[in-house]
Amino acid sequence: MKESLDQIFLWMPVLIEATGTTLTLTITSVCTALVLGVFLALGKISKNPLISKPATAYVFFFRGTPLLLQLFIVYFGLPLIDDSFTMGRFTAAYVTFSLNIAAYLAEIIRAAIQSIDKGQLEAARSLGLSYGQAMRLVIIPQSYRRMIPPVCNEFIMVLKDTALVSIIALNDLTFQARMISSNRASALVFIPTLAIYLVLTGVFTYVFNRLEKKYSLYE
Amino acid sequence: MNDEEEGQDIMSVIKTVDICKTFAIVEAVKNVSLTVDLGEVVAIIGPSGSGKSTFLRCINGLETISDGEIYIDDELIEKRVNGHQHVHMSRERRAQILLRTGMVFQRFNLFPHKTAKENVMLAPIHVKKMPEQQASKIAEEILAKVGLADKFDEFPSKLSGGQQQRVAIARALAMEPEIMLFDEPTSSLDPELVGDVLEVMVDLAKSGMTMLVVTHEMGFAREAADRVIFMVEGEIGETGTPDEFFTNPQNPRARQFLKSIL
Repeated sequence: MKESLDQIFLWMPVLIEATGTTLTLTITSVCTALVLGVFLALGKISKNPLISKPATAYVFFFRGTPLLLQLFIVYFGLPLIDDSFTMGRFTAAYVTFSLNIAAYLAEIIRAAIQSIDKGQLEAARSLGLSYGQAMRLVIIPQSYRRMIPPVCNEFIMVLKDTALVSIIALNDLTFQARMISSNRASALVFIPTLAIYLVLTGVFTYVFNRLEKKYSLYE
Repeated sequence: MNDEEEGQDIMSVIKTVDICKTFAIVEAVKNVSLTVDLGEVVAIIGPSGSGKSTFLRCINGLETISDGEIYIDDELIEKRVNGHQHVHMSRERRAQILLRTGMVFQRFNLFPHKTAKENVMLAPIHVKKMPEQQASKIAEEILAKVGLADKFDEFPSKLSGGQQQRVAIARALAMEPEIMLFDEPTSSLDPELVGDVLEVMVDLAKSGMTMLVVTHEMGFAREAADRVIFMVEGEIGETGTPDEFFTNPQNPRARQFLKSIL
């Protein structure tokens, strides 16, 4: 047992380095997806079918197909169409995750926006604010608080889903753990790996709880 | 207001001609024609479901009329026949003209994520592009005028219904409208809070503000209104001075209505 504990400490620097990739991928793709998601959500709400139909189709496609296959298509499939689509592992993972998460976030954001009382938009319009101003200054800020719990949920799912990228040999936490495990012919490394994931989700749950408190100040 | 308009003695701030509003198959408003002159206070009363609120909401575009004409300051801004718009005016221009109307809602509709003062400042800053300092000064003045000098930094959730509605009135007034539209402003207030709001409205009427008020407060209609409109089943059933209407209503439905509420 003593020996195993020593081993774990030995692996830690490598695992923590790989955690950097997992974290960077999660945070960058969720941030990109948030921006994309706001536009998709506003698109889905739009009364213009030329805007709402494509947004709906986008969400339908990315929610309706496995993330792993989407990753394969971006990483292996696109370069077959044209060489210029060839991407590094991290870029391919970042692009796929951003596009995929945006579909889920779009639904979360749409639901949050539509849950705001219609009287808010009417009051804003009656004061002369344009639709865009009303959304930006009145509706969307009120929907933040309602978005935070489901976005936190989504964020934690993404953090764990990034383990999928080990399949395209991107050096994330799970990939590194698998490497160590097969080199040492031991499954022991999965225990500290699990612990790292748990610490990360714990930290983010805390951060999101704080955010939720901050945005519910006025209630 | 434009200089050329100031010279005229009588000017209608709002004129509607044969307005109709149909929801799916329900005719909520039927051929309502009404002219509100500058400085006039008009109360619209009637049983619930008689189309009073819908009519009011048609005027500032919260509902789109199916048929009829709407004039603001004698300028035609909306003319529809079978739902088709016959006035060709840019969206910006129409929005500009509609800024002359201010609206107060039954359920206040204050922005809950903004303080009382921020609620009042929002439109002046973002619509009139007023510098923040000036907007802040004006907001404080108007809030003080409606008796909320000590509530500038409170969020709506910390205010009573009556206080919230007074913030809502201040918010509309900050845009310096020519006419204030009130949609049952006291109907969702506890009885003991109605007085404060009515007091603000009476003061506003005395100051010469043109007002169109949908209300169930017969006391207000009797004392503050220049004219009472009785609406029933989407139509104007009777119109008259408060004295005529309350003492000797002609329309049988009006008699019945007054009997049921008094």
